[in-house]
Amino acid sequence: MTTTPRPYTLVAELTYRCPLRCVYCSNPVDFHRSRSELSTGEWRRVFSQAAELGVMQLHLSGGEPVLREDLVELIQHARANDLYTNLITGGTLLDEDKLRRFRDAGLDHIQLSIQGAARESAETIAGVGSHQKKLDVAQLIRKIGFPLTLNVVIHRLNIVEVPELITLALELGADRLELANTQFYAWAAENRRALMPTREDYDRAEEIARAAIAKYRGTLEIPFVHNDYLSGEPKPCMGGWGRSYMCINPTGAVMPCHAAAVIPGLVFESIRDNSLEKIWRDSPAMNAFRGDDWMMEPCRSCERKTIDFGGCRCQAFMLAGNAAEADPICRLSPHHGIVESMRKDSAADDPLIYRDAKSSRALSRS
Amino acid sequence: MNADHTWRPRLASRARLKFDPIAQQEMLLFPEAALALNETGAAIVRLCDGAHSIDEIVDQLSKKYDNADRDALMREVMDFLATIRARGLLQ
Repeated sequence: MTTTPRPYTLVAELTYRCPLRCVYCSNPVDFHRSRSELSTGEWRRVFSQAAELGVMQLHLSGGEPVLREDLVELIQHARANDLYTNLITGGTLLDEDKLRRFRDAGLDHIQLSIQGAARESAETIAGVGSHQKKLDVAQLIRKIGFPLTLNVVIHRLNIVEVPELITLALELGADRLELANTQFYAWAAENRRALMPTREDYDRAEEIARAAIAKYRGTLEIPFVHNDYLSGEPKPCMGGWGRSYMCINPTGAVMPCHAAAVIPGLVFESIRDNSLEKIWRDSPAMNAFRGDDWMMEPCRSCERKTIDFGGCRCQAFMLAGNAAEADPICRLSPHHGIVESMRKDSAADDPLIYRDAKSSRALSRS
Repeated sequence: MNADHTWRPRLASRARLKFDPIAQQEMLLFPEAALALNETGAAIVRLCDGAHSIDEIVDQLSKKYDNADRDALMREVMDFLATIRARGLLQ
């Protein structure tokens, strides 16, 4: 057994409750089954244990984390443990008073999602009226002096808006504009045909983003997260499974990433039953794909295995039926043909499935 | 980069220093990433408060490291500031 790696990043999914209904949501499709969120005291204990383990970056996420009544206290506790604390929010529940209280509690940074540059396409994706409120909140965030990342999930319906999104981020005085192409898990996988951009639109957006990245370097940072179906590059699974990153869901289950629950047979231990240190180091789920002993060919003998770690384990399971296979995004995967057909499978008229309790029940009935 | 001696660099609001007790080194933290700093880097960051000019930063560092060659220190400071400025970590 090699020494346990050190975690740097913790994503704390404080709740699955959310006023938005975004069709690309990364929360599990069966989120309606989730009960009994961690208490304030349990999250405080997790943050202290995470800091002791070496975590530096804490993302307070959801659902909508602003729905937690104890958010100010959780921010205070995170900062008392010297964690770099980022709030990932849809913004619709924020006002000036809340933002001032978050600032006074020590919040370091806010990542605000918007669904597009134009109201109509944005609200088609969010499933509720929210666009103007988000723009107003972005201005409040800047007024109060928070550094701001605008995060936009990019897909077929808004990919042509990339130039307008860049203009908007500059106008709002954002520090960062994350152009996050849709990753096809959870709700986004259910809506894949409607969200998959065309090759032409994707290549054009990438070219525009590349030029903007160079033009605004040092003033507006523009991370461009690739659509791996179209880029053809396997994603380096969270920088390696159980290597530097962990996610804790609203009921306390500790996972190597928020999507990992799709892989059958993995049991995610809860911080209600064990210390974070013990789970991170010893739990079978956290060790399932650590290192490279689990790898099959073509990954096992591939020189890129320390770069991309064989791609995404969840995607390997979803597309090849076995989480230990090469991610079929890779041209060397025997299942790569599936990806070739899926990347061309873009359907403008596919109905959208909104992320809400009703759809969650319908999709997880079986 | 030319040395503009009147420039008073200020760290961006989204970046802050943290001492990492595990690796025993200073880290510059910012959204989604971090830079591990050596002692000089951390000393420079502490002086990036919008009040100290480049000359003053170099003066303070040369006092701190009393045998330092001022030209070499100036180069080190300018290189370091160029690196963090390119990452948007200076205002």
